[in-house]
Amino acid sequence: MRVSNLSFRYRRRAPWVLSNVDLAFARGDVTEIVGRNGAGKSTLLRLLAGLLRPLDGTISERPDVVGYAPERFPSGQPFTMAGYLRHMARVRRADPREVEAWAERLGMSDLLGHRLPDLSMGSAHKVGLAQALLGDPGLLVLDEPFAGLDATTRAELPLIIAEVAERGGLVIVSDHQGELRGFPGLRRIEVGETTAREVAPEVAAAEPDAPPRTAPEEAVTILEVVVAVSRARELADRLRGEGHTVRMSEAEVAE
Amino acid sequence: MIALTRFRLAAYVRSHRAFQPLIGLLVLLAILYGSPLPAGAELGAMADSAAILIPVFAWAARGLLDNEPDEQRMIAITAVGRREAVVGIGAAWIFNAGLAAISFAVLTLRLSGRPEVAAVLAGVGLHVIAITAGTTLGALTSRPIVGSPAASTLALLLGYLAVLLLSLSGLPWLTVPLMMWMREAHHGELLAHFPALAAWSLLWPLIGLAAYGGLRRTRP
Repeated sequence: MRVSNLSFRYRRRAPWVLSNVDLAFARGDVTEIVGRNGAGKSTLLRLLAGLLRPLDGTISERPDVVGYAPERFPSGQPFTMAGYLRHMARVRRADPREVEAWAERLGMSDLLGHRLPDLSMGSAHKVGLAQALLGDPGLLVLDEPFAGLDATTRAELPLIIAEVAERGGLVIVSDHQGELRGFPGLRRIEVGETTAREVAPEVAAAEPDAPPRTAPEEAVTILEVVVAVSRARELADRLRGEGHTVRMSEAEVAE
Repeated sequence: MIALTRFRLAAYVRSHRAFQPLIGLLVLLAILYGSPLPAGAELGAMADSAAILIPVFAWAARGLLDNEPDEQRMIAITAVGRREAVVGIGAAWIFNAGLAAISFAVLTLRLSGRPEVAAVLAGVGLHVIAITAGTTLGALTSRPIVGSPAASTLALLLGYLAVLLLSLSGLPWLTVPLMMWMREAHHGELLAHFPALAAWSLLWPLIGLAAYGGLRRTRP
């Protein structure tokens, strides 16, 4: 997907939110959008998802199937969680069995029969994530996906993102909480001053509004973990998702 | 598109907001058909019904479109693209067709005489035009186009009044000629002019729908 010379503002004579932005995304890229509040992160996400049209410039080669999880899932809808997700599966032409699979993966199987307005903020947020993941999206746009999630789902989401990317999908995430820091191959785009440009991870980590979770000078240690061979890869992926360095050779696994 | 249409209709009916225009319709039907319709007045009654029901259709269309939260509309756009606006209009039209069917059934029950087939067809045609006009007015006053609920309600009422006043004035070609429908139907002249009148009456709603589509390009 390629963004060429993109400019956008909400109304005539309103100040430009983004001006002359050029970006390129390759298949399998996982990109984090960073910037201060009001810098235009959500606007950029909506432009990339095809919800807003650029006033100038183009966005080309957008994948056909787009999944979009908004920052605040609209839970005031008259459906149960299962009813809503089944409707969305039909709308997105996804296999209806995906509903149960994603509900289980996101730890909300026991809430499928609950009405959406009765859900907690975190559970409603999971419904927003689940509908975006239906139908194998080629472009997955997640606006603050970690907000309100429990620890298990916070650890699971990087794995899901990695699977979408491995399939060749493009994942673009706005993540104020820095939960994706340490994600292998993560790209970062900083939005601010009406521009959006790719920055090195160190620059993004130095942002005042998004401090790094671990101070650079903090001492590190090596922790050995004994785990069943069948679960080794899963645990390694989970730890990598949390930002740890994991070394696991095939020989060690065989032992 | 069918799945999204079903989703929106289900959301509207389950939210119970669909009862608001339905209750409005029932009140109108009670007033219009409190006494039986005399023989020979069938086509006139159908034209009156079509013209009077336009604000109910507009109310229902606006209610259905505004029933969906903005973020859910965004999700729908990512799922089906720009056809989302077409689906919204289609769902509103289908709901209004249900309201029109109820009205037409009550009207038929209150007829004293047996209407001609041509009159029934013209009556159905006028209701189809009224549904399209009402749906267009509702869409043009829905939240993506008019953000304030108060301004939206005012625009809907003033829009219908403007259509009535313009069709009463010497420039009825500037709008859907509702008064001409009723006048010609009551004087037995409607069937002779129906094709031309129908085409003219559909022109403005279609222009309105095109305007809605254009505005929605920059107002997701």
